[in-house]
Amino acid sequence: MCCTHSFEDRISQDKDTTPVDLSGIKGMKFFDPHVHMTSRTTDDYQAMADAGVVALIEPAFWLGQPRTGLDSFRDYYSSLIGWERFRSSQFGIKHYCTIGLNSREANNEALAEQVMEMLPLFVYKEGVVGIGEIGFDDQTAAEEKYYRAQLELAKEAGLPVQIHTPHRDKKGGTTRSMDIALEHGLDPYMVIVDHNNEETVKEVLDRGFWAAFTIYPFTKMGNERMVEIAKQHGPERIMVNSAADWGISDPLAVPKTAALMKIRGISDSDIHLITYQNAITAFAQSGQINEADFTAGGSAIDQSQRFEGNTVLRGGQQPRIDKNSIIIS
Amino acid sequence: MVMYNYDVDALRALFKNILTVNVPADVLNWLQQKGNFNTAFVLVPRKTGKALLQISELEAQELEAIIPGFSLTGWSVDMLARAYLLLELDETNTEEYFRKIENLFLAAEVNELVALYSALPLFAYPDMWVKRCAEGIRSNIGNVLEAIMYQNPYPQKNLDQSAWNQLVLKAFFTGKDVGKIQGIDSRASKDLAYVISDYVHERRAAGRDINPSLWRLVGPFIDDKLFEDVKWAFESGVYVNQKASALALSQSNYPAAEALLSSQPKLKTAIEQKELTWDSLTLEY
Repeated sequence: MCCTHSFEDRISQDKDTTPVDLSGIKGMKFFDPHVHMTSRTTDDYQAMADAGVVALIEPAFWLGQPRTGLDSFRDYYSSLIGWERFRSSQFGIKHYCTIGLNSREANNEALAEQVMEMLPLFVYKEGVVGIGEIGFDDQTAAEEKYYRAQLELAKEAGLPVQIHTPHRDKKGGTTRSMDIALEHGLDPYMVIVDHNNEETVKEVLDRGFWAAFTIYPFTKMGNERMVEIAKQHGPERIMVNSAADWGISDPLAVPKTAALMKIRGISDSDIHLITYQNAITAFAQSGQINEADFTAGGSAIDQSQRFEGNTVLRGGQQPRIDKNSIIIS
Repeated sequence: MVMYNYDVDALRALFKNILTVNVPADVLNWLQQKGNFNTAFVLVPRKTGKALLQISELEAQELEAIIPGFSLTGWSVDMLARAYLLLELDETNTEEYFRKIENLFLAAEVNELVALYSALPLFAYPDMWVKRCAEGIRSNIGNVLEAIMYQNPYPQKNLDQSAWNQLVLKAFFTGKDVGKIQGIDSRASKDLAYVISDYVHERRAAGRDINPSLWRLVGPFIDDKLFEDVKWAFESGVYVNQKASALALSQSNYPAAEALLSSQPKLKTAIEQKELTWDSLTLEY
C-alpha cells in the first residue's frame, strides 16, 4: 500500500535522468508476487510484458478509501478473478491473486463480519494462490481479530498467507504478526512476510518465514539497498515485488532490480531465485500455479481457454501504438 | 413454463458415460456426492484437472440427437464436470433454482463464467436466462463472449431481435469469427442489415478496414439503399471485399444486384461452383 509523499519530493529526487538500461537482463523471466494492477493502465501491462514479467500476483487491498457495503467487496474480489485476469492475459501475463480482508477495513467490524462470511466463496477459486494481503495497519484489537480469523481460514483451505507489515511500528508489528501466525499453528514456510527492510529481514528469515521486499520509492525499499541485502543474506527465501498501485510506484521494479543486481555482480542464478523462482515456490504451495501456463513460448496453455483464433488472447498480441507520434489513428 | 426443452435424463446419462472415461472413479464418485453445491462447483478443476475432453464419434452423435446444435468439441474435463453438477440441481422450485445458478454467475472466476455460459442451453426454464445471456454479451472478456457466440444454440433460439442484433454487432466489434455463430444466417434481418450499413459508413468515415463477413448479413436484404453499400465494396479495389460483396450479391434477387454480379463472370462462376463460399472467405480473411 502506498503512503503520502508530496510532488515536490518527487521533483527534487527525480533529477537523475539516466535512461533505463535493461539490456543486461534481456531474455530473463520475472514474477512479480505483489502488484495492484486494477490501479494501473494497459501501458503498464505492455511495459511489464516487454521487460520480461510473465506472471504476477495481485493481492486484495483497499481502494484508497474505505468500502461501505458488502457488494463492493464482492465486486472487487470478482474483478480480481474475472476482468483483471482477462486484461492481463491480453498481454501474455498470467494473473494470480490472493484474497483477504485488509487490515484497515477490519476496523469496520460490522462490515468485516459479513466479509468474513463471504470469503470462503472466493478463496477456493482457480488461481487464488493465498490469503492476502492481511495483517496489521494500526495494530488495533479489531485488526488482530480478523487477522487471526483469516489465518484459520488459510489453514483450513491449505493456502499460503501473504502478510502486509505495518508502516508505523514496523519492527514490532512484524514480530507480532509472526508470533500470532505461529500461535495458530501455521508452518512459517507457508507464510510470506511482505514489505521487509534491513531491520526486519534477519528475524523473518531466522524464524523460517519467506521474506518479501517491496521496491517502492520514498516509503519502502530502494533497489540499491535491496542489492546490499541480497549480498548479505543470499537468495534463500527472499523475493522482491513492486507493490505498484495508485501511488507513485513502479510496475517495473522487479526487472529493474534484477538489472541492478546484474550490474552489481550478483549471479544469474541468485537473481533468478529472488526475482522469479522463490515467489513461485512459495505460492505454488496453493496447488494453483502451473509454471507451464506462463513459460511455454510466452503463451498460456490452459485447456479451459478452449477457443482458438482469438489472437488477442495469445501471447501479448495487443496492437501496438506509436507513443512518439502525435498522430492517433 | 417448460422445465427442460430436451430429454434431460438422457443427457445426464450421456454426460456420466463421457465422464467415466475422462476422470478416475473416485472423482466421479465425488461429483455424485450431495455436498455443498457452491463449494463443489468451485473445486471441480482441482479434482478433475483441465485436460481436453475425450469424446467418441458415437457420443457426439447421441449428443446432437438430444440437443441439436450443442457440442462438446473443445471442452475441457472441468467444464463438463461443472455442467454435470448443474444438471443435478433440483429444478422443481423455480425461484430457488434461478437464485442458485445466478449466484454462481455473480461470484464467478473467468473459467467458471465460460463453463456457465457454455452450459446455457442445458438449463431448465430456457426463457428465464435471456437477461443473463444478454448480460454476458455486454462482457468484454473475450473467452466469455466466445462461450456465448460459438457452438452455442441458446442465443439463436431464445434471444429477442434486439439482443440478437447486439450479439452480432459485438462479434464484429470484438473481431470474432461470425461464421461460428449458430443462426447467423437464419436470424439475419432487414433491421440488422440496416444497422450494419450504418456501421460500415462509420468505418468508411474513419478510414478503417471493414470485416468482409459483414456483407453476409446484408446480401439477402439488398434494396436500393443497401445496394449502394455493396456496390461500393464491390468496386473498392480490395479483392477480399470484392469477393465478399459478390457473395452478398449472389444472395439477392434485386435486379441491379444480379446485373452487377454478372459484370464479373469469373466470381459469379466461382460462387456457383462453390469454390467461393463464406467459409472459404473467412479462412482467407
